[in-house]
Amino acid sequence: MSSSSLDQKLRRLARSHFEDRSRRRGLLVAFEGPDGSGKTTQRKLFKTWLKAGGYDVVTTKWNSSDLIRPIIKSRKTIRVLSPLEFSLLHAADFRHRIESVVLPALWEGKLVIADRFLFTGLARDVARGLDFDQVLKLYQPLVWPDLVFYFSVSARTSQERIATTRAPTFYEAGQDVTDIDEPAASYERFITRVIREYESLALIFRFITVDAERSIHDQHQEIRRLFHEGEQRPWSDWNLDAVVEWLAMRGARV
Amino acid sequence: MAGDERRSRVTTNGARLISIDGVNAHALRDTARSVAAANRKHRAGISSWGASGIFDELTVADSNAGIPSVRTLLLLYAADLAFRLRWEIGPALDEGRLVIAAPYVATPIALGQAAGLDPHWLADIFRFAPPATEHHAIDPAPARPIAQRQGFVEFAWQHLETRLGGLTRLELMDRTRRHLRTNAKRPSGA
Repeated sequence: MSSSSLDQKLRRLARSHFEDRSRRRGLLVAFEGPDGSGKTTQRKLFKTWLKAGGYDVVTTKWNSSDLIRPIIKSRKTIRVLSPLEFSLLHAADFRHRIESVVLPALWEGKLVIADRFLFTGLARDVARGLDFDQVLKLYQPLVWPDLVFYFSVSARTSQERIATTRAPTFYEAGQDVTDIDEPAASYERFITRVIREYESLALIFRFITVDAERSIHDQHQEIRRLFHEGEQRPWSDWNLDAVVEWLAMRGARV
Repeated sequence: MAGDERRSRVTTNGARLISIDGVNAHALRDTARSVAAANRKHRAGISSWGASGIFDELTVADSNAGIPSVRTLLLLYAADLAFRLRWEIGPALDEGRLVIAAPYVATPIALGQAAGLDPHWLADIFRFAPPATEHHAIDPAPARPIAQRQGFVEFAWQHLETRLGGLTRLELMDRTRRHLRTNAKRPSGA
C-alpha cells in the first residue's frame, strides 16, 4: 500500500472513530494559567466531579513523562538550560505524552484533563525571548483541546500566592533570562511577561477565561456549567494529522 | 533564535563550520578526523552528536518509561545540537576557528524523511542552526555489525524499532542515505 493511500485510509478511520455518536467520544480539557492561579485545585475538583458523573478520566501534567522529565530535571538542577534547550526539551516531553498518554486515552473515549498544555510552553518560551511561530512549530502536528480553561490572575496575586508556600525555583522565577539574583523580584518581572503572553493566547485561541481571583467554589461552579456547554462540540479535524501519525506509528490496520 | 546572529559572525572573522553527514558512524568519524588533520593550522575541532549527554540518559531510562517516536527523538537531537552550538561550535567560531560538525542537521533531517515526517517541519525545527560554510554528505553503507560507538541513525533504529512501521535497520539506513543524497543535490545542501 502506498504511503498516501495508507494516509487517506487512516484519515477515514480517525474521522469515523471520533464522529461515531453511538459511543462517548474522547474529550481533551486543558487547564492553563500562571503559577499560583489555582488551576491545580480546580483541576482536582473537576476530576472528582467528573468521576462521580461516570466519566473515565485521565490526567496528564506538564513536564511529567517518565522518559524525558529526568533529562529536564537534571539540567534544571544544575541550571544549564538555555531558553532554546529549555523549549526543545519541553516540546519533546509534551510530544511523548501526547503519543503515549493523551491520544491513546482519547481513542478509548476517555476524558483527558491536561494540567497545563502546549500554551504553557508558548507563554513561557516567548516570555524567554523566543519567536512565537518557531515555538509553535515545535508542537506540530498540533493537538487542540476541546476546551481550554484559562485561570486569569494578576502578577501580584500570582506572586502572593506562591510566596505563601515556597520560594520560586530558578526557572520558575525566570532567573535564566532576567539577570535578577533575588528570586521574588525576578519572579515578578518574569510572571508579568508570562501573563502578557497568556492574555494574547487567550484571545487568539479563544480560551474560556475564568476569573481566578474569585472564590474556589464560584470558579468550580462556573467550570461545571461551561464544561456542559463545551462537551457538545463536534470532533475537530484540526487534530487529524496528529491522530493519523499516531495511528501509523502504532501500526493500525486499515 | 540564535541562528542569524551566529551567521554574521561566521562570515566576518574567518571562522568556518564544516558539516559532515551520513549514516555510517565509522566513516563520519574518519572523515571528520582527516578534515581536522588537514586543517591543524586553523585549530580545527570536531563536534559530535550526543555531547549534551541527553542520549546517554535516554539509554538508561526506566524500561516502563516508554519508547520515543521519531519526532520526539528528533526534538531531543535538536536540544542536543543547541547544546553543541552553545558550548562547542559557537565558542570555537567566535574565536575564528574551524569546526567540523559530524553529524550536523542533514542526518536527522534525512532520518525524519525516511520515517515519513514532513520535510518542512524538519527544516523548521533545525532553523536555529547556522548554515555550514561547507557541507559533505558521505555515502558509505552502515557498518555491520553495529559499531561500539553508534551513529545517530543506528541509535535511532535501536531505540525506535517498534515505532518505524516494520522498517528493518538496513531499510531505514538505505532510506536515510537516499534522502541524504537527494537533499545534498539541492542548492541549500540539506
